[in-house]
Amino acid sequence: MKRVVISGVGAVSALGNDVPSLLAGIEGGRSAVQYMEGWDQYSGLRSLVAAPAALENEKAIPRKSRRSMSRMSFFAVQATEQALADAAIGQGPLSSDRIGCIIGSTMGSAEGLNDTFETMLPERDLSRLTAMKFFQCVSHTAAMNVSQYLGITGCVMATSAACASSLQAIGTGYDLIRLGKQDVVLCGGSEELHPTVTASFDILFATSTGYNDDPQRTPRPFDRDRDGLVCGEGCGMLVLEEYERALNRKARIYAEIIGYHTGGSGEHVSQSNRESIVRCLRGALASAEASAGDIDYINAHGTATRHGDEVEAKAIREVFGDATPVSSLKGYVGHTLGASGALELIVSLAMMEKGVIYPTLNLDAVDEGCEGIGHVMRPLRRDVRVVMKNCFAFGGINAALVCKRLET
Amino acid sequence: MREQQITEMVNEVLEEYFEIEPERLLPEMNIFEDLELDSLDIVDLVVVLQKKFGVRIRDDERIRTLRTLGDVYRFILTLQEEGASPAA
Repeated sequence: MKRVVISGVGAVSALGNDVPSLLAGIEGGRSAVQYMEGWDQYSGLRSLVAAPAALENEKAIPRKSRRSMSRMSFFAVQATEQALADAAIGQGPLSSDRIGCIIGSTMGSAEGLNDTFETMLPERDLSRLTAMKFFQCVSHTAAMNVSQYLGITGCVMATSAACASSLQAIGTGYDLIRLGKQDVVLCGGSEELHPTVTASFDILFATSTGYNDDPQRTPRPFDRDRDGLVCGEGCGMLVLEEYERALNRKARIYAEIIGYHTGGSGEHVSQSNRESIVRCLRGALASAEASAGDIDYINAHGTATRHGDEVEAKAIREVFGDATPVSSLKGYVGHTLGASGALELIVSLAMMEKGVIYPTLNLDAVDEGCEGIGHVMRPLRRDVRVVMKNCFAFGGINAALVCKRLET
Repeated sequence: MREQQITEMVNEVLEEYFEIEPERLLPEMNIFEDLELDSLDIVDLVVVLQKKFGVRIRDDERIRTLRTLGDVYRFILTLQEEGASPAA
């Protein structure tokens, strides 16, 4: 098996349109959650808060590439370009069958789908739809658009497993390189905010509804007063590269991916389940040939739903006890769904580099049901060599990835 | 509708939707070679023109014969003269 390292990162988030601004926001303890003007026109939508990202400079993309892109594809192009620049990989080598691109999302462009139906349905007239609507909407829109724009000719794929989409993208890229099928894979996830996305959770009573007048205090992962998740948007992209290749070109290496596991609960479409999460965490440890004590930090899924946080905390307690530091980043940028695995892994890699663990924002009093794990409630100086990133998605889909700092 | 008005309205579409600089919008310009539209753009041009002029042209075979911007102006004018059925 080949070894796989991360040699570049790029991000667009509600805290800013690059990695430094995302990290600066988190270091400053800033929440990007805000009241969403206009969302109160939707009757039945009770959660009126979200963490929107700013769409900037999309016109820098030439029209013929831009015409098939929606908001999430713009984010994906921008984050991918950042990641490639960070990895010092120019556009020349991208047209190789050995370089691929895997970008996950929950369901493609929510805004594009909404526009399509708004155009078509009033008169049930399909002749009003432009040729571009399909390309803007589809599940693989981000992967397809980024690959077309950059001229990528290796494996192009879109993972779609709701909130586990981008971790599955990274896991799949990891496997492709390990197996020797690709040398470099640009991996991540992209997501765009829309009232219908928040509504999909709101209908299930999974959103935060009690902080519409005080948005910065929600979401509250693992906190006694948490009342649900808050949707965010953006894109996180990582350059995964075969170790020897990265070494030969003297690339900056953030970390080595040493373990990955994904599996289903086989039980319930929306309720997560402790046993299956425990199996996933243990599967990732086994894949990394590591024991629980080897993990220095766990970046939790921690979305702030009543049920999900408790189940995750219990699973972590069962596998790790209370000694391993745990935090969730949802309080800063909301739940970026299909992008969350990648965006939060990027921040976790920064914690590894800086030797500090960022705390769970809005975790003021640990809920009784979430006790017994190593909650980080204020910045913690710590040598972080090995991190685990968790994602748990609707459909009972669990994923966990283990990364290790390379000692020089 | 007068010829001048049609020209202006078609040019508006090409400028706003397809981002073509106004100084390039001349009747002799070939829409594929000079204005660099491709087959996907033509599909969308038809959708936008249908909306702009209230005509139904998606299934009109004459679209395939259009080459220059002048052809597009004349096609719209012909449709207007034929009293093409307004779009729903």
